[in-house]
Amino acid sequence: MAQTGSLLHFSDHQYLRQRLVLSILSGKAVRIDKIRSDDKNPGLRDYEVSLLRLLEKATNGTVIEISVTGTAILLKPGIIAGGSVSHDCPLSRSVGYFLEPLIMLAPFAKRPFQLSLRGITTDDNDLSADLVRTVTLPHLQLFGISDGLELRIKKRGSPPEGGGEVQFLCPVVKQVKTLNFVEPGKIKRIRGIAHAVRVNPQFSNRMIDASRSVLNRYIPDIYLYSDVYKGEESGKSPGYALSLLAESTTSAIQCSEAVSKPGVTPEEIALTATHTLLSEIRRGGCVDRKHQNLVLLMMVLGSEDVGRCRMCEPSARTIQFLRDIKSFFGTSFKIVPAEPSDPSSTQLLFSCYGTGYINVNRSLA
Amino acid sequence: AEASFENSSRRRSRKDWISLIYSSALTPEQIAQGDSNASHEISSDDADDDFFRIRPATLVNGDDLDMTKELVSPDSLKEWEDEALLDSIRALFITGEQAAPEK
Repeated sequence: MAQTGSLLHFSDHQYLRQRLVLSILSGKAVRIDKIRSDDKNPGLRDYEVSLLRLLEKATNGTVIEISVTGTAILLKPGIIAGGSVSHDCPLSRSVGYFLEPLIMLAPFAKRPFQLSLRGITTDDNDLSADLVRTVTLPHLQLFGISDGLELRIKKRGSPPEGGGEVQFLCPVVKQVKTLNFVEPGKIKRIRGIAHAVRVNPQFSNRMIDASRSVLNRYIPDIYLYSDVYKGEESGKSPGYALSLLAESTTSAIQCSEAVSKPGVTPEEIALTATHTLLSEIRRGGCVDRKHQNLVLLMMVLGSEDVGRCRMCEPSARTIQFLRDIKSFFGTSFKIVPAEPSDPSSTQLLFSCYGTGYINVNRSLA
Repeated sequence: AEASFENSSRRRSRKDWISLIYSSALTPEQIAQGDSNASHEISSDDADDDFFRIRPATLVNGDDLDMTKELVSPDSLKEWEDEALLDSIRALFITGEQAAPEK
């Protein structure tokens, strides 16, 4: 991670997405080498190349160089152009893989984004379209990014054949608000979306019943919605999933999801999702664990003031993200136990001084 | 299960996250899994003798993907079949204080 001029240097294929995003936001060029150089099948994967192509479409003036063997890339960031972009995602990853980095960039574009992505909408690796819509976008609203923020799920697509389509609309902002979110509150409602495409539509109801059998004991305000997609809208492959979210009195959101697997009954899928949700609730904090990175990034980009947020313990991804933020922006967080007097509490208070990042791309008026 | 959770969390709460994250050479996975004590010793060892370096055991999930969702092991969720644990988080809900309708 030696820094020469404004070129940052990383190795390994892990954490590729966040480094590309930080590079584009900070305007610092990045070189990543040793990408699977010891692998039987070295170099970039098709989805990584596809992500680079998407970033090229979404920005203006970005230079991307990929070495002949595909084990090293150099990215010189341009400006984030925004506007109407459409992209066919490869079937090796879901649209969530592509959407997550774009969501980090979109508020700072020159023109509002209208991004259409086609491919798999729900899988086990990345945030599904449902979670992005119900959980990620509310997290952006914490920072004052709200008017015209929308994700439409036009078609669903399950692995392996996909065939789904989502449309992401994001407004541009001049600057994000400083976050001060330290009160997790208590869970007041649970919402869920069950969908089943190209299988017996009764599967949604079976998942809802199984999930309710556990959750009904806690609170009465539970609404699990069975989302029906028919015909062309249901993609090319069969599949079903249940995504759940718990919202607290202070609008802190925790979420979980489980996706159909061969030979597993809908009831078991639903219980996996439900139990994962309970684990997340037990961890607590003001933001969902899968969204720590997004929230921390927006805190760093906030106005020149101290932003504070209470979270559960960072995941491995988050730890690396904190280190990468320090490499790109020079900002480090202060991390202290949220309740020093209570030894059983593992929650932490993250605070940082915002860099006062201003969207210079935004076209005037 | 409840007690063991409290034990482990008590141990973890003493971690100094700032120095672990910004000024240690541990990998993020090591920090997240909390085996910081053991690996502190290892890192001082290979400063003396870095001819042979033990390669960190490769991650279990094969081609370690850059993925957002975490792998959940079915075993770790088994604990939720325990009624006592289900009741232990009742205080986190708004219905928590008033002795909630018993099962």
